[in-house]
Amino acid sequence: MQKIKQDEKRVLVIGGGVGGIKAALDLSESRKKVLLIDSDYAIGGLMTQLDRTFPTNNCDLCTVSPHLSAASREKFLEVSTMTELTSLSGEAGNFTATLKTAPRFIDIDKCTACGECLKKFPEAVRFNPGLDPRAPTCMRYPQATPYAYSIDMEKVDDVEALKAVCKAGAIIPDDTEQETQINVASVVLSVGAEMFDPSVLDNYGGGKFDNVLPGLEYERIMSASGPFQGNLVRKSDQQRPKKVAWIQCVGSRGINVDDVPYCSSVCCMYALKEAIVTKERFGDDIETTIFYMDMRTSGKDYEQYFNRAKEDFGIRLIRCKPHTVIELPDKSLEITYAREELSAMEKEEFDMVVLSTGFRPSQKTIDLAGAIGIDLNEHNFAKSGTIDPVTTSKDGVYVCGVFESPKDIPETMVQASAAASLAGMTLDSEEWVNEPVSLYPPQRDVDGEAPKIGFFVVDCDGEIDQALDIDKILENAKTNPDVAVAEAFKLSCSFEAMEKIEGLIKEHNLNRVVIGSGSPRIQESMFQDMLRRAGLNPYLLELVNLRDQNAWVHNDAPAKSLEKAFRLVQMGISGVRKAKPLTENMLPTSQNALVVGGGVTGMTSALELADQGTLTYLVEKAPVLGGQALNLSQTIEGDDVAAFVKGLVDKVSAHENIKVFTDAVVAEHTGVPGKFTTGIKTGADSACEQIDHGVTILATGAKPNRPAVYGLGELDNVMTQLDLDAVLENDESKIKAMEQVVMIQCAGSREADNPNCSRICCQAAVKNALRLLEVNPDIEVFVLYRDMRTYGFWEDYYKTARDKGVKFIRFDLEHRPVVREEAGKTIVRAHDFILGQDIEIEADCVALSTGFVADADTNNELCSLFHLPKTEDGFFLEDHVKLKPVDMALHGFFLAGTAHSPKVIRESITQAHAVAGRARTMLANKEITLGAAYATVDPVMCAVCLICVRACPYDVPFINNERHSEIDPAKCRGCGICAAECPAKAIQLRAWEDDQIIAKIDGLFERYN
Amino acid sequence: MDNFEPEIVAFCCHYCGYTAADMAGTRRISYPSNVKIIRVPCTGKVDAIHLMKALEKGADGVYIAACLEGDCHFKDGNLRAVAHVEKIKKTLEDLGWEPERVAMMNFSAAMGQQFAQAAEEFTEKIKALGPSPASQATSKAV
Repeated sequence: MQKIKQDEKRVLVIGGGVGGIKAALDLSESRKKVLLIDSDYAIGGLMTQLDRTFPTNNCDLCTVSPHLSAASREKFLEVSTMTELTSLSGEAGNFTATLKTAPRFIDIDKCTACGECLKKFPEAVRFNPGLDPRAPTCMRYPQATPYAYSIDMEKVDDVEALKAVCKAGAIIPDDTEQETQINVASVVLSVGAEMFDPSVLDNYGGGKFDNVLPGLEYERIMSASGPFQGNLVRKSDQQRPKKVAWIQCVGSRGINVDDVPYCSSVCCMYALKEAIVTKERFGDDIETTIFYMDMRTSGKDYEQYFNRAKEDFGIRLIRCKPHTVIELPDKSLEITYAREELSAMEKEEFDMVVLSTGFRPSQKTIDLAGAIGIDLNEHNFAKSGTIDPVTTSKDGVYVCGVFESPKDIPETMVQASAAASLAGMTLDSEEWVNEPVSLYPPQRDVDGEAPKIGFFVVDCDGEIDQALDIDKILENAKTNPDVAVAEAFKLSCSFEAMEKIEGLIKEHNLNRVVIGSGSPRIQESMFQDMLRRAGLNPYLLELVNLRDQNAWVHNDAPAKSLEKAFRLVQMGISGVRKAKPLTENMLPTSQNALVVGGGVTGMTSALELADQGTLTYLVEKAPVLGGQALNLSQTIEGDDVAAFVKGLVDKVSAHENIKVFTDAVVAEHTGVPGKFTTGIKTGADSACEQIDHGVTILATGAKPNRPAVYGLGELDNVMTQLDLDAVLENDESKIKAMEQVVMIQCAGSREADNPNCSRICCQAAVKNALRLLEVNPDIEVFVLYRDMRTYGFWEDYYKTARDKGVKFIRFDLEHRPVVREEAGKTIVRAHDFILGQDIEIEADCVALSTGFVADADTNNELCSLFHLPKTEDGFFLEDHVKLKPVDMALHGFFLAGTAHSPKVIRESITQAHAVAGRARTMLANKEITLGAAYATVDPVMCAVCLICVRACPYDVPFINNERHSEIDPAKCRGCGICAAECPAKAIQLRAWEDDQIIAKIDGLFERYN
Repeated sequence: MDNFEPEIVAFCCHYCGYTAADMAGTRRISYPSNVKIIRVPCTGKVDAIHLMKALEKGADGVYIAACLEGDCHFKDGNLRAVAHVEKIKKTLEDLGWEPERVAMMNFSAAMGQQFAQAAEEFTEKIKALGPSPASQATSKAV
């Protein structure tokens, strides 16, 4: 065994799934050294095995960190695969970690992943969970990083033959295990969990019947990189199924011996996604049915996804957990189930049954927790902080993702940023100026060269290929004499594709590049960076949006869609011919932060930034700090919210790096990302105090909803859960006098006028029901609900409430409860589906779970002041719902807490840490690229008419001493208004010049044979 | 003219119109492939010349998709775009063309559904109008 000791202090991130990757990227983006280890052969985790992710239904993992250049990735981030932690000693800020790296038997620097070894050892390839045999040479999936195979030496008989096969000479037969000791400031655990193996259950046929498979295997079958190349067929006869059923909560939310009691939080959404994708691809040819207990679509806008599944895609939903699945002679499956409204069992035949299985911590994870010395909860997940979920029982060790509790990708991304932010606090950012000259090869001078264009289709997720004939698109592009190369990269991760394109640019001496891929909004900076690496100016590039604006929107007309693709590509080629190399403007960033909103979220973010030396301005509209948390007495876990808020307020008020403005609003705003100036207006004062800041965090919260439903505001005994919380806190005698309490869920949400789920209400009802029983054990509590959404470990509280006698009665929109007053009594009428009749309950208190709605006035004002986008229901819209959930589309703006969507305190606090970390990534760069798109004036053509001076929204143009208009590149925002208005056409907006736009129009209308 | 497929160009601003179009994609809401999008930083950048050029080259209809009024990322670029569209409408009228071939639309970044719907409606409208005089001339020439 080889032993190595490294002294350089770093953050250690364990687990290379999306969470670990995100944490590692965030840390390296804020210039902190980080080592990412994974015990597997390649990083990527579960996400890379998914066909697509909800709700956007695509991968886009490459866009996680577009602002991190490849150069800084190399400097700050090291990835070690096949590596495990064996021990951790020392304390926070100064740990020593011992790592063990298993031999790969392949030199990954030499391996070209040509696949020769795999061909010669054909019993090969572990690839798809449960669908492929294990192999000596093993690459996990085509998008693997590092892009290299690994060998299981024990299974190789003839080592020399294997060596001879490898032309690159990458086989190392005597590779040995390696032990490394490293100095670690802090640890981020992002080790995830395994998917439950349903074969241990005896009633659903998992692992026994060919056509019963867990959700993840269904994803692999649907995936273009899967065993049937994305062709959906049954395993038994390779025939396309006509009826597919999903069974939810397999192994979860149960009391049987192999069940776990908690909810895995993701299965409802993934089953809906799988059913929707099935419908998208096969339409009416396949009938999809989901058997479920409660549909838990409580994430941001997830309810609308659920509604589309029902209404637009016609997915059939049956509320019940089936009894058994039996296999019929033709390998079809018969499901026996009982609906709540019918007393008899029903039987139905399906061609394929998908078992929606959830997460289970693996034994390896449990052992790892032991080696690190952190506590686990009763379900063997990390015991995390009840208020601060990314903290563990050990200082300096943070947790994120599924190992903290079952969760989906956006929540994992938020926790990853939060854990990275806290873990990074013990390590200083390195002074390192991003000097393009030294990090990239010198830019080739293409001046005077005739265009030599490379056209590349980068289709990493197979979405374009599925809708369009890429070969024909390439052929068409090649008819342009100046297109020297046209190639497609299908189903290879964009990072790999970019490496190959760099090679082709150099090999063919290309001077222009056109990429057909996803949206330039997301991918442009990534491909610009690719050009820099290849020694080309990043502006010699055009992106053609073949995916988002073609493959995804013309499913119904494939021929026309292909024709459109030809035309769009021609537009790109024609446009790029006119592209010019441009230099970018750099600007030093302001190192201050502005946090709008002084609730728990805003205060937490401000403290974290201030603790790292960032001068932070905290602006609160109300006269006091605290926000909505001031109306809440305790969390479901029993934390004292009031004491917590007071602690925060004290710390914030006393902090030397925080300047608090209460009774204040932001009133004016100018500047560019990295250098903003904002005016803050306090009280009745008409004057604004101007502050400079480089980043802005929006933590303005949401408003408790008070809809006029079920007699709220009219009947004395009808109140909201927040009102009930106050009674519980202040007036126990009133509770003691109550005999019956009715709670009504989804009051004012999941309705036509407010379609989203408010997420917090189910746990709030369960919490208050349990508190009522604590004060008055004789009280009868009825909860009228539509779906109980106690996701994750809250399921435990839901079960406790049921055990303690709280009665949960379901209703639906056709059978809404009715609240009335009669002879001084409040009476609730509800429909009982099991009895099949209406029941009436006399209530001393009716508590409505009203949730949160967007604070429309505040959000509208801020959106128009800062020019930020909103969702349809008035919350702020993040940049990427899945991968960048706390960044906003406008660089320099971040979003946290209930201003993003309704959520509980611990989730808001996680986002608060996450935005502080994301803000640090920007501040750590000290300077920011303004891009090259600024307006320039041709002095000869300028007629000094002053139109540009009047038209510019930012008053940038002025008439200089030489009697022509001048535009300061550092102040120009690049809108191009002056260019459009200039009557002499003396002004051009660089990168968007008139001849470029006209060339695009020309390209679009070029005739085809 | 039953199978007339109009050529439509949509100038979309980066922050709203183009994002709304992407949003339609993300949600897989289809709209007619007749609509081809040209991205601009702000619709205030869309010169009257660009609109005319598109019509001259063969577009049967052209529209600008900007941010909602009051929400322009560059304060009032979308209002300037309205002025350009109005000017072109007037010019078309003078030329004896239907002014409806040019339109101004506004979307927020989240309005993917509305974007798709508007694309559909505009395409139908141009279909009803038939080929533009310029595109008739070019197709005769071919």
